[in-house]
Amino acid sequence: MGFTFAEGPLLESEWYNFDALNFPKDHPVRDMQDTFYIKDMPEHVLRTHTSNVQVRYMEEQIKKGIQPPYRAVSMGKVFRNESTDMGHEAEFFQIEALVVGTDITLANLKGTLALFFEKIFQGSVEIRFRPSFFAFTEPSVEIDMRLTGEHIPEKLRNKWMEMGGAGMVHPNVLKNAGIDPKKYQGFAFGFGIDRLAMLRWGIDDIRYMHSADLRFINQF
Amino acid sequence: MKVSKLWLDKFFDNALPNAEALAEALTFHAFEIDGVEKVGESDSPKDWVLDVKVTPNRGHDCLSHRGIAKELSAILKIPLANDPFLDKSDLSKQTAEVTVDIHRTALCKRYIAGYIKGVAVGPSPEWLKQRLAAIGQRSINSVVDATNFVMFNTGQPLHAFDAGKLGSLSLGVRAAQDGEVMIALDKKSYTLKDSMLVITAGDVPVGIAGVKGGMPAAIDESTKDIVIESANFDGVSVRKTAAALKLRTDASTRFEQVISPELAAFGMQSVVELIQKLAGGELAGFVDAYPEPQKPMYANVTVEKVNKILGTQLTGADISDVFVRLGLPYKEQDGVFEVTVPFERLELVIAEDLVEEVARIVGYDKIPAAPLPAYGRQPEINKNFAAAEMAREELVQQGYSEVFTSVFADKGERMVLNKVDSVRPYLRDSLVPGLTEALAKNKPNKDLLGLKEIKLFEIGTVWRDGAESVMLGTVTEKQKASEKTLAPADASAYGALPLSTATRFEHFSKYPYIVRDIAMWTSSTDNEQQVQQTIQKEAGPLAVKVSLFDAFSKEGRTSLAYRIVFQSFDRTLTEAEVNQIMAKLSLILVDKGFVIR
Repeated sequence: MGFTFAEGPLLESEWYNFDALNFPKDHPVRDMQDTFYIKDMPEHVLRTHTSNVQVRYMEEQIKKGIQPPYRAVSMGKVFRNESTDMGHEAEFFQIEALVVGTDITLANLKGTLALFFEKIFQGSVEIRFRPSFFAFTEPSVEIDMRLTGEHIPEKLRNKWMEMGGAGMVHPNVLKNAGIDPKKYQGFAFGFGIDRLAMLRWGIDDIRYMHSADLRFINQF
Repeated sequence: MKVSKLWLDKFFDNALPNAEALAEALTFHAFEIDGVEKVGESDSPKDWVLDVKVTPNRGHDCLSHRGIAKELSAILKIPLANDPFLDKSDLSKQTAEVTVDIHRTALCKRYIAGYIKGVAVGPSPEWLKQRLAAIGQRSINSVVDATNFVMFNTGQPLHAFDAGKLGSLSLGVRAAQDGEVMIALDKKSYTLKDSMLVITAGDVPVGIAGVKGGMPAAIDESTKDIVIESANFDGVSVRKTAAALKLRTDASTRFEQVISPELAAFGMQSVVELIQKLAGGELAGFVDAYPEPQKPMYANVTVEKVNKILGTQLTGADISDVFVRLGLPYKEQDGVFEVTVPFERLELVIAEDLVEEVARIVGYDKIPAAPLPAYGRQPEINKNFAAAEMAREELVQQGYSEVFTSVFADKGERMVLNKVDSVRPYLRDSLVPGLTEALAKNKPNKDLLGLKEIKLFEIGTVWRDGAESVMLGTVTEKQKASEKTLAPADASAYGALPLSTATRFEHFSKYPYIVRDIAMWTSSTDNEQQVQQTIQKEAGPLAVKVSLFDAFSKEGRTSLAYRIVFQSFDRTLTEAEVNQIMAKLSLILVDKGFVIR
């Protein structure tokens, strides 16, 4: 489908993790992400999402003189400063996609997500959006997914599951990357990979992922 | 925010549909619902409370029952019958007895004081107590309850001072002096800093602006005259003050979301009416310090833009319908909608904001799913990822397992400032300690895993020599952990790693296991697999793993040696019970003609 694998650092500047993504300074929006800060490194954080790669990737392209269309995917470790339990880890994995062009719509987002989940779960998939808010997308949606078909395990079959967030890239994000938001538009989505794996294989505790326990790992 | 169903009903001519239906309407068109609770007896509930997760962009208008009622009105297409924002607020009656001086106009856009004389403070009426109780608020007295009710009704924080205890009716809004101390309504003493804003009476602090009022001018049954504050304080300033004092209040959470200074007038009007109804008194008048009134706000969108972003085929009529339902006045010309943004909807600025309004009210289920358009570019090959994939392929073939260990460590160059659990506060500078620990952890499970040797690798980030880099680390039982920088690979394509064939994750037991070996002479007609199956069957369900570990032939006979791992899911097995199983197994095998060695 033409997606390029793009990367960014884990220890990231607040610019790429927040400001460039349209997060206002000193605003409750930043409370949504429990952020790790680093001693003697002001204005740096452990990235709270893989979205730091969005502006980095687009900037690189512009520097190379390449205007959209763009299709990029990134994945890797992200961090939230919270106590851990069966469903929460302070470090976990995210996957993120960014598509920018002159004619990329929310309908394309729905179609792409359906395809993505069909490939992962190997079944028929329905996608449902619910309204949400993310600083870097407008409109913003929560993504629910439902798997149908006889071969899907009963625990998952026909049940709506919350998968992650998505939306149309906010014009300010494009602007911050040096792209003309009057000409170009696009979508972005992101999910926890751990959660995808947990659903896919019926894993009930996210902490297995970092356990380094071969009783877990060697099953896959 | 907690929202009462009965409270919402009061905005409409007729009662709304049931709480479940409201929760569903909000979920798919406005906000997530964290829960719906019954209030009172479970078989005859008095009320239902919805816990609405108001998103940060809607803190301007939806941290209030009016805001949620307005949303429901748009979603369910039921007109709002009683909208406190509909009538123009009337603050025309002025008083010269109270004065207001805003020293820091950048941090206080508006300050309205309302002066009521001769109130009789008492307990609140039952309906008011019930409303507040439903959303988890304690009833204090009629005047304080009125200010709280109006805040939860309109979103405007309010405060009432006992005018007699203020000492002076010259009110001011100024920066606190460093070290200035104030006792707040929670009876705690707060030491203030010059970055904080205070309300003063005769220059003595009587309130921390937007956060909490002071104890000395608290309202009680003896209060006769009151000064009510309905003001607008800067969001960032209130947020920082509340955080520094560790004093987050219902008022501060509203101010930090930024609210419109226009709201202050409606809040004042409502609270004065309610107080007079509950506690009598005579309105002496208002003082309204509002140096720079909020300018009218407009936002534009075209039919074309809506469809271009959403991938829909909505018409001008569809968009009109949404704006009418949301109470967004507009002018339409040649497909351009110019919306006059209501004063409280501070988040509606650009076209995309209006597109979102259309999408969520029409419903996201109306958005079709469309494939991506054709794309001419080839994906670039990421050299780091290619290198990682090549390393994986090679090591997996050599019998290594890939692990991920934590980036948090006991030592390192970079320290995390604010780790909640405060264990391992550094970022690792090496993969070696994590891998060594992982090896030690897995070694005891070797038999259970059926491995001859534990071999691990990790591809992970470390922070060393002032830089972030990705390392490849390995460890085996024979070779100590070591690591090297993962150099980018000059690949033209990614390798094709096989996909996992696992279907479901299988739980493993937390209890220790016991290992036993058994070896026997077999005849040439016996085959290894059949023998293994026999052992598996006869050793019973506690034998979780049976594996052949040695075989040799001598003089026409074959010796087969099997390792059996015993483990229970619900208890620690004893040596005695495993010995018993083994004794029984030996008898059975002898019976079948094998010669146990």
